[in-house]
Amino acid sequence: MTDATTGPPTLRDPAHRVSPRARVMWQLGAGVEGLVLVVIAGALALTMDAVRWWMVLALAVVVVTYVAVVPQWRYLVHRWEATDTAVYTQTGWWARERRIAPMSRIQTVDYAEGAISRLFGLASVTVTTASAAGAISIDGLDRQVARQLVDDLTRQADAVEGDAT
Amino acid sequence: MSGQTPPPPPPPPPPPNPYFPHGPGLYDAPYGAPTPELARDREWQRLDPRMLLVHPVREVLRFLPVLLGLFLAGSSGGGPPLHYLGVLIPIVLGVLRYLTTRFRVADGRVELRRGLLNRHVLSTPQDRVRTVDLTSTLIHRMLGLTMVRIGTGTGGSDDGDLDLDGLPVERARELRRELLREATGQDDLGPDDAPAPPAPPLVVFEPSWLRFAPFTGAGLIVAAAVFGGLSQLLNITDSWERVDVSSVPVPSELAVVGIVLVLLLLVVPISVIGYLVTNWGFRLTRSDGSWHVSRGLLTTRETSLDEDRVAGVSLGEGLALRVARGRHLTAIVTGVDRKAPGSASLVPPAPDRLVLDVASQVVESTHAITGRLRDHGPAARRRRWTRAVVPTSVLPLLALVVSLTGGPWWPLLPTLALLGLACVVAADRASGLGHALVEGYVVARSGSLARRREALAVGDVIGWNLRATWFQRRLGLTTLVATTAGGRGAVTLVDVPVSDAVALANAALPGLAEQFLATSETDTPVGRPAH
Repeated sequence: MTDATTGPPTLRDPAHRVSPRARVMWQLGAGVEGLVLVVIAGALALTMDAVRWWMVLALAVVVVTYVAVVPQWRYLVHRWEATDTAVYTQTGWWARERRIAPMSRIQTVDYAEGAISRLFGLASVTVTTASAAGAISIDGLDRQVARQLVDDLTRQADAVEGDAT
Repeated sequence: MSGQTPPPPPPPPPPPNPYFPHGPGLYDAPYGAPTPELARDREWQRLDPRMLLVHPVREVLRFLPVLLGLFLAGSSGGGPPLHYLGVLIPIVLGVLRYLTTRFRVADGRVELRRGLLNRHVLSTPQDRVRTVDLTSTLIHRMLGLTMVRIGTGTGGSDDGDLDLDGLPVERARELRRELLREATGQDDLGPDDAPAPPAPPLVVFEPSWLRFAPFTGAGLIVAAAVFGGLSQLLNITDSWERVDVSSVPVPSELAVVGIVLVLLLLVVPISVIGYLVTNWGFRLTRSDGSWHVSRGLLTTRETSLDEDRVAGVSLGEGLALRVARGRHLTAIVTGVDRKAPGSASLVPPAPDRLVLDVASQVVESTHAITGRLRDHGPAARRRRWTRAVVPTSVLPLLALVVSLTGGPWWPLLPTLALLGLACVVAADRASGLGHALVEGYVVARSGSLARRREALAVGDVIGWNLRATWFQRRLGLTTLVATTAGGRGAVTLVDVPVSDAVALANAALPGLAEQFLATSETDTPVGRPAH
């Protein structure tokens, strides 16, 4: 374990941030979803007496705040790191989750470019293990970085023996 | 001229067997002479002829609605009795099903061929066989037959399971023994060796266990379902607008009490019957490196668990069951396919002493099962209270406001009772919280009404998740999740102090989390909220 001089052991953050463009991507995604919500609420307000315009306005304020704050917050939290023996990520904003998966347990490495992320030249890498609770996903990686990461992970996961269960 | 004649082309190689590309013989070598049952199953075998009695009956039952229609039409028509043909067709179908289904165990593969028009061949390598389960419905049992389900570890392919529906019980048991032995590579037993005498069962069902049935989760679930259904009904018949403050008559309160009493009276027999049907004749034995469970009142099931695949155990100790001094035990099983449940019941709700004893034998550690657990500290305990009490105290406050503003006073009573229940649950949750790392097991206990104590072998931990909301971070707590291939996919340690969580992860899998440790307080990177 740790020596006493370092105090109680804690984990540090993973080494790398995701691409700064991920902020804009998340903002766009959240903005589009929020806009749909506001439009629906507006349509309801036009047709139903029970839905008042101040409710629509309140919803719009919530959406704008979310778009302004959450992607930025998420960007500050989202980090990743891959070493010779493990993948380590940190995701979330309000609830922060750190996941560590040993290289020897990795079953698949997926590379995906969603419709929005392609606009920004971004990609996501998902690493799965035999556990349903253990999948690790890194969103908003620069395409080049993501490809490199997939190559590295595939090579290293191959190099370790075992059937990953 | 003759010298220039090209040599005759070599005969074309035989087409490769798509199911066995390496050719026969490869798998024969390590096993030596095949064992008796497998020797017989080398050639394509039909299933037991007694299935000729089962299949037609099943087909007739399947076509029953159509047949009834035919009979009604036929008897009213008065023409020639063509409707008897309607019975013939299902019977012929049943016979055809029997005639077209064959299986064999050869060349290191288990193969099942079936279907008349759509030929279907299921095939799986013999060394991939993970489970062999025997299931006998009532009709099977009357004929002395059983269905053999051969499970493989292939994750989620649609031909994962091979069902041999209808073998004599003795033959099925022999097949299971031999398949499992070859699959686990335990062929040190020569084929001539007699099978080991069956070990005495560790657990045998006792009728007195029925007393635990009403205290199980199943009983509570039934009660909740019935209650939910009834409240739905009440909601439909008595919509909220109709519940007028002044018009609520006194008898309706009596009716509520009456409904609750009836429910309680119903829960007991339903849960006892459910327990009886599932667990009658329960036996747990350990032999040939496997755990064998057999149980069932009407349909009997025999399942085998390879000991190597048991990654740990989960002790069910819900509040009600604990009060009745009972426990139940499930195994956390790895290496089964995704469709199959990753846990298997090892002991149904039974006296706690017995269950704890069996659990200790399964994990070969008493400390993991009964040892003291490390406390999660005052902050984690306080969180149990706030999380249980804050949401439930809203309702009595609302009721209070309603009664102060001239509404009825009686909603206060049930809401206060709910708050009281929440307090009990909170106290129980707070006292139950704990974790440990002992004798190679990660042990976690949490919950109250459905409290579980789980012990997962360190070697089966395949990753760590540390999850913390802003509230948890403020208190220096985190929820540590040890992911695994079996069970529910994870063992969760709720609200552990961060330093304990990291120390445990570090000690359990040395070298993994170690490389991500903060080396000193000043090294803490930016962007990390201080606490």
